[in-house]
Amino acid sequence: MPAAKKRTVLTLSGSVLLHVVVYGLALATIAPFLWMVLTSVKDLPEILTYPPRWIPERATLDNFVNAFEAAPFGRYYFNSLFVAFSVTAGQLITCSMAAYAFARLQFRGRDVLFYLFLGTMMIPGQVTMIPSFMVLHWLGWVDSYYALIVPGLASAFGTFLLRQFFLTIPRDLEDAASLDGCSRFGVLWRIILPLSRPALATLAIFTFMGVFNDFLWALIVVSSDEMKTVQLGLAIFRDRYQTDWGQLMAASVTATLPIIIVFFAAQKYFIRGITLSGMKD
Amino acid sequence: MNIPPLSAHTCSLRIARNLHLLLITTLITGMSILLPACGGKEEDRSGKVEITFWHSLVSSTVPALQDLIKKFEEEHPGITVKAQYVPTGDALIQKLVTAVHSNTAPDVSWIHANFMQDLIEADAIYTMEEFIRGPDSLPQADLQDIYPALMEQAKWRGVLYSMPMEATALGLLCNRELFRNAGLDPDQPPRDWNELRAMARKLTLDKNGDGKFEQMGLFIPIFPYSGPYGDWMVWQWYPFLFQAGGNVITLDQSRVLFDSPEAITALTLWKEIYNDLNLSSFTIDYEVAFASKTLAMAIDGPWNIPRWRKMKNLDWTVAPLPAGPARNATVAGGEYLSIFKQSRHPKETWMFVKWMLRPDVQAFWSMRSGYLPVRHAVRSVKEYNDYLETDPPLRAYVESMEFAVAPRPIDYHSLRISRHLAEALEQATLGRKDPATVLRRAAAESNRLLESVVRK
Amino acid sequence: MVKATPHADQHQQSRRARERKDIIAGVLFLSPTLLVFSLFVVFPVVFSFFLSFHKWNMFSAEQAFVGFDNYAAILVNPEFWSVLSNTALYTLGTVPLNMVIALAAAYVLNKKIIGRRILRTAFFLPVVMSPVAAAVIWRWVYEPNFGLLNYGLSVFGIPSVNWLNDPTAAMFALILMGVWKSFGVNLVLFSAGLQGIPEQYYEAAQIDGAGKVRQFWNITLPLLSPTTFFILVMSIISSFQVFDTVYVLTSGGPLGSTKVLVFYLYENAFKYFEMGYASAVAYLLFAIVFVLTLVQVKYLRGSVHYG
Repeated sequence: MPAAKKRTVLTLSGSVLLHVVVYGLALATIAPFLWMVLTSVKDLPEILTYPPRWIPERATLDNFVNAFEAAPFGRYYFNSLFVAFSVTAGQLITCSMAAYAFARLQFRGRDVLFYLFLGTMMIPGQVTMIPSFMVLHWLGWVDSYYALIVPGLASAFGTFLLRQFFLTIPRDLEDAASLDGCSRFGVLWRIILPLSRPALATLAIFTFMGVFNDFLWALIVVSSDEMKTVQLGLAIFRDRYQTDWGQLMAASVTATLPIIIVFFAAQKYFIRGITLSGMKD
Repeated sequence: MNIPPLSAHTCSLRIARNLHLLLITTLITGMSILLPACGGKEEDRSGKVEITFWHSLVSSTVPALQDLIKKFEEEHPGITVKAQYVPTGDALIQKLVTAVHSNTAPDVSWIHANFMQDLIEADAIYTMEEFIRGPDSLPQADLQDIYPALMEQAKWRGVLYSMPMEATALGLLCNRELFRNAGLDPDQPPRDWNELRAMARKLTLDKNGDGKFEQMGLFIPIFPYSGPYGDWMVWQWYPFLFQAGGNVITLDQSRVLFDSPEAITALTLWKEIYNDLNLSSFTIDYEVAFASKTLAMAIDGPWNIPRWRKMKNLDWTVAPLPAGPARNATVAGGEYLSIFKQSRHPKETWMFVKWMLRPDVQAFWSMRSGYLPVRHAVRSVKEYNDYLETDPPLRAYVESMEFAVAPRPIDYHSLRISRHLAEALEQATLGRKDPATVLRRAAAESNRLLESVVRK
Repeated sequence: MVKATPHADQHQQSRRARERKDIIAGVLFLSPTLLVFSLFVVFPVVFSFFLSFHKWNMFSAEQAFVGFDNYAAILVNPEFWSVLSNTALYTLGTVPLNMVIALAAAYVLNKKIIGRRILRTAFFLPVVMSPVAAAVIWRWVYEPNFGLLNYGLSVFGIPSVNWLNDPTAAMFALILMGVWKSFGVNLVLFSAGLQGIPEQYYEAAQIDGAGKVRQFWNITLPLLSPTTFFILVMSIISSFQVFDTVYVLTSGGPLGSTKVLVFYLYENAFKYFEMGYASAVAYLLFAIVFVLTLVQVKYLRGSVHYG
């Protein structure tokens, strides 16, 4: 059957071509990242070599040493991780409660409230930034962990994400539990949340990433060195007279690493969570 | 899906198994609420007074700063100085303003003249008179020894709100090796605009014949006017404005002067060199270009001396800027220190500011950091003069101070006026517009701002 | 209306009782979120709105009422219109490119391909990077003399471009980086949508003799439309709010060519401390995004198929 054979050959060559294109795109996507890592271990003369060399001839950790000498990155790290963990934990709790109310509870004005809630997602953060700062100021929280954590303890996105997920859980489950005498709270904690692990994990990763990577808010509410986050620390190297690319790349690697570790560790949850949340409304 | 009936027991088991993540995170949140907020300016347990000092010194200058603080603390055992880096430019003023607002201002901070208006209107900083005439007074002779140009910039509407900590002047950074390669004598840097133009051309090379220049003779600093480098671009243009005989603003600050024929001459020079060398296709990271020996000349400041010195393979020096059609000039600037009213230790903070002015401290700081002394008396410190003989770049900057001009202060809307000017510089060069047209427009916009000011 | 029977009455009563219970539970469940939201969203939104009709520099105790002056000043300012058109250009450049690449990659990853997980990880890597770090890296990639991009182009004989110093190229550079940074999110969403399409549809189409292309147009795209619609709406919103990468990569330059709305807002608020003016810009931005979303919902929703 020459026709069938021909088709197999065609499919095969098509498949090879497809692989080449896709892997090419993937390579192009990670190239800047690799470039950062490789530049961070080069010394200045090698960084300023043209044509550029990918693999450094003399790998050095000097850039990291210098970067860590110039700024207390250890402390920045602790701040970033502490803030990111706290906000994540808080959001998991507040969002799942609010999402359950919007998904299952019957009360007047629920949907209006929900759409108002969703509407806030369209408000650029810059609209609320100035007055939010003033609220923190009135509370005496500027330049403290509270300033970095408390405004993040609720999220329209998280509530929306979890609500969509909760809606996909069959009601029969809850009805069975209700008949067993579980309260609304009991239903949420005993049935909904255990079934929602993928969605919770998704929200956790989104939140952690967002908080860890946040720059502008931290720039505004933090002033002392003790409270600075990793992203602010990175800003130090982006200073006006400074174009020390080796140190800049070392600092960038430092600022990126934890997120990448979290991502690799939890990628499965992330993908599965989004898949299951079925973004239909 | 078949669901087994749930009993309370299996309910709780499920929680334990599935929600450990939530429980752990709840715990962390609880901890975060209980943890006290850090960052307060508490006094040291040993009873020492701690003063917080905000600065934007680049990291290559930080070791010098540490030496300086050590010296101060050795002489003043009861005081510790906590230096804190704050990004410069927009970020510095933003941080200061928000800090004042939230009662977390430092005791003393770097201030730029352009930023004073906001802080003064917020009643955030002391006038220096309160200290100069106070119990720990500063003699008039010391005050008069400070370069007058710097004192002008330290004032706002004629009132002294800050003290200079260090001076800067701009000079011409030259790669001696590239001079020699082009057949030029590195000890004969350009003396006037014509020589500057000619040498820049001669040092610009298309090495591989692709029609593009791989080596650039002179960097004309054109940066995005909307970005953090906008003010820096304007600053580097000022010497050329002065050299052409112009100035920024009238003495009574009622009108800007950058639509004058002198200003147009200065910008035309920039535009011509910019186009001649095709600088729009060259990097704007001139420091990288200079370090990689693809740039022969650039306008630079003394704060970069430690940086270039670290690069052992560079044969470099600094020359005074060439003279213009009207005169020899560079721009004098500096970093100024203001004391905040929120400081709990204004007395000790003033001690630091005053100490900083002492000739031997100024000499010490200059030798370590590359910054220039703020007063004449330092030139009579023998150790300093001996040192200058061994440091030609620093000497070039120090000598430039003799003909340095400080831009007249702009007390109102200085940030916006500077931005209008920056926009004109970018449009004339990169945007290929007519210098006279863009300068006139920028001046008109600026004058409208000045007219709107209700003089108090 | 149907007359209520005694049975329906009883039913209604139990529903009311349940509703009452639910109100209490609702208040309890929503209170933490509402507390945080009222402090850091509702109040700020209202206060910003108030500020947009006032002149205030953040220091003076009093805000001076100026009516619609701020809005009028914005609308007659040519800079605002150029900023708006830059933002629109960025959106027009980013959103379609982003969606096409994301969909194509998701489609391919959904097929028989070796190393799917590795590929997905690679595509998603930029998403998790901080915008500050990413922009720092890309500045170095775009560096005209030593940068990776020009070197890569020179291999193919393409002359070097001064990416960040040319008004046209800089917008392109920003768009390219924006797509790189975020197409991974849409890829995951598209993948989810693709996996949600039941295999039977394809099998049926195959029996009908439909080729791959026909299948894609007639089955994949229509059944994917809820996902596509969601992504479109969200992408437009987020590209209208772009800031971090602009701030670090181009600072709005050169010649103001990449100055976008939020950058303009930031500049007025935190550089010139024109809080009233900046708040008015914020509200205009909000209105624009709101109207755009409404338009999409009204005109595109009709073509969305729900499987």
